Amino acid sequence: MSDQLDFLFENLPNLLIGFPSNRPGGLAMSLLLAFVGLGIGFAVAVAVGSAHDSPFRPIRWMAGVYIQLFRGIPLILLLLIVNQLLGGRIILGVESTPLTAAFVALVLYSSAYQADIIHTGLRAIPDRLVDDARVMGGRRRQVYRQVKLPYGLRVMIPAFTGQAITLFKDTSVVVILGVADLTTTARIALGSDVTNAPFWVATYLTVGLLYFLVAFGLSRVARRIEFRINRGELVHSLAKLA
Amino acid sequence: MIDWLTPETQDLLARGVVVTVVLTVITSVISFSLGVTSGTLRLADRRWIRLGAGAFVEVFRNIPALIQIIFWAFAFPSLFPQQLRADIFFDNAVIDFLSNVTGLSTPYYALAACLGLVLNTGAHLAELFRAGVGTLPQEHSDAARSLGAGRWAVFWTILLPGGVRAAFPAMTTRLIHNMKNTALASFVAVPDFFHAVQASITESFQATEFLTLAAVFYLLMSAGMSLLFRQFDLLLHRGRSRVRPA
Repeated sequence: MSDQLDFLFENLPNLLIGFPSNRPGGLAMSLLLAFVGLGIGFAVAVAVGSAHDSPFRPIRWMAGVYIQLFRGIPLILLLLIVNQLLGGRIILGVESTPLTAAFVALVLYSSAYQADIIHTGLRAIPDRLVDDARVMGGRRRQVYRQVKLPYGLRVMIPAFTGQAITLFKDTSVVVILGVADLTTTARIALGSDVTNAPFWVATYLTVGLLYFLVAFGLSRVARRIEFRINRGELVHSLAKLA
Repeated sequence: MIDWLTPETQDLLARGVVVTVVLTVITSVISFSLGVTSGTLRLADRRWIRLGAGAFVEVFRNIPALIQIIFWAFAFPSLFPQQLRADIFFDNAVIDFLSNVTGLSTPYYALAACLGLVLNTGAHLAELFRAGVGTLPQEHSDAARSLGAGRWAVFWTILLPGGVRAAFPAMTTRLIHNMKNTALASFVAVPDFFHAVQASITESFQATEFLTLAAVFYLLMSAGMSLLFRQFDLLLHRGRSRVRPA
């Protein structure tokens, strides 16, 4: 029992922030991957999601293909494909590594999911709201930026937080490229020989617990924020009206 | 013409397709039942049942599927002493039988992958089903109860069909996600389609071709499943107005 604890104590810093030679890694790397995937993915998703709502059919169609394509294949496969396409090439003066490929794949993957959320959220806006804004003299673009997007995004918050948590858990799959996230770090710490076999259960329980703490914690925080935003919100009462 | 697709790799990939499809069907059916059951238990009157179901859902929903699969396949057996471990997981009549039927060399890893996927997807579906039941108007159950219907009757005739109907679109999205997650089984040496693709790449170094093939395969699976589920959805809504509860 005590050797179990010794092994865990010895490896806990590695699991949290990575091996000393390779930082950030571990849980910090998992968080970084999810954060970048979500952030840049969101910017891409606003463009793609809006395009999916465009009056021009070819643009709408292309956005639809983008969403279907990156949502339809497993992330693990997308990682391999992106790594195959980028691997070793020099992009913007930087040589592409598996880590770059992981970032790109996560952005593509999460932007497709977020674009779909935005697309559905924009659909949920009551026509009356948009019509009124247009009648009051708002131009199409103005109405889009000042009415539809802010209203829509607020309605979409629960879907976004759900997606954020899902993406965080999905980053575990980058182990296929050997990117030193939490899952990969655990695998390296355990090694492939049998000497560490007794530590497998304890290590994977710890890894599971770390993922759980972050994901569950985030979902609780998100629920609080949603509650606070929705309380006495005009937008919320309109949503109920519609 | 297509010289990278040798008869051997064709055979390997075809076996992989079968494993992926079977894995998808089995885990979908079991996790759907598990999801509806545990989603219902979260609405139980008894506090400890509600809390137990809630704990199950939160634990298995918030740990990545990959970690769960690796845990059941590789970590869990190491809890047992060596001889016992072999007897339970790798070398007994049931495992031999499974091995003969499926042609897998270590069926336990496939079972472990199934277990991981089922628990993960089941927990997600439970939450969706519960939300679906939550959208049903309280009046329906109240009316049925006051007309003398028992709890079970209310559950079977109102909550279960209504909840599934309301949650179905979200549940199908999750089941398609589950199909994509079966690729994770390749991590624990289950020879599914993704595993076959990786093996073919190692063999031939024709990565681009095989990766494109894999992408097409999974896109077709996703599209096929969503078509199938749309038919189911129409069936569920037959004879009803298409307006879903908000």
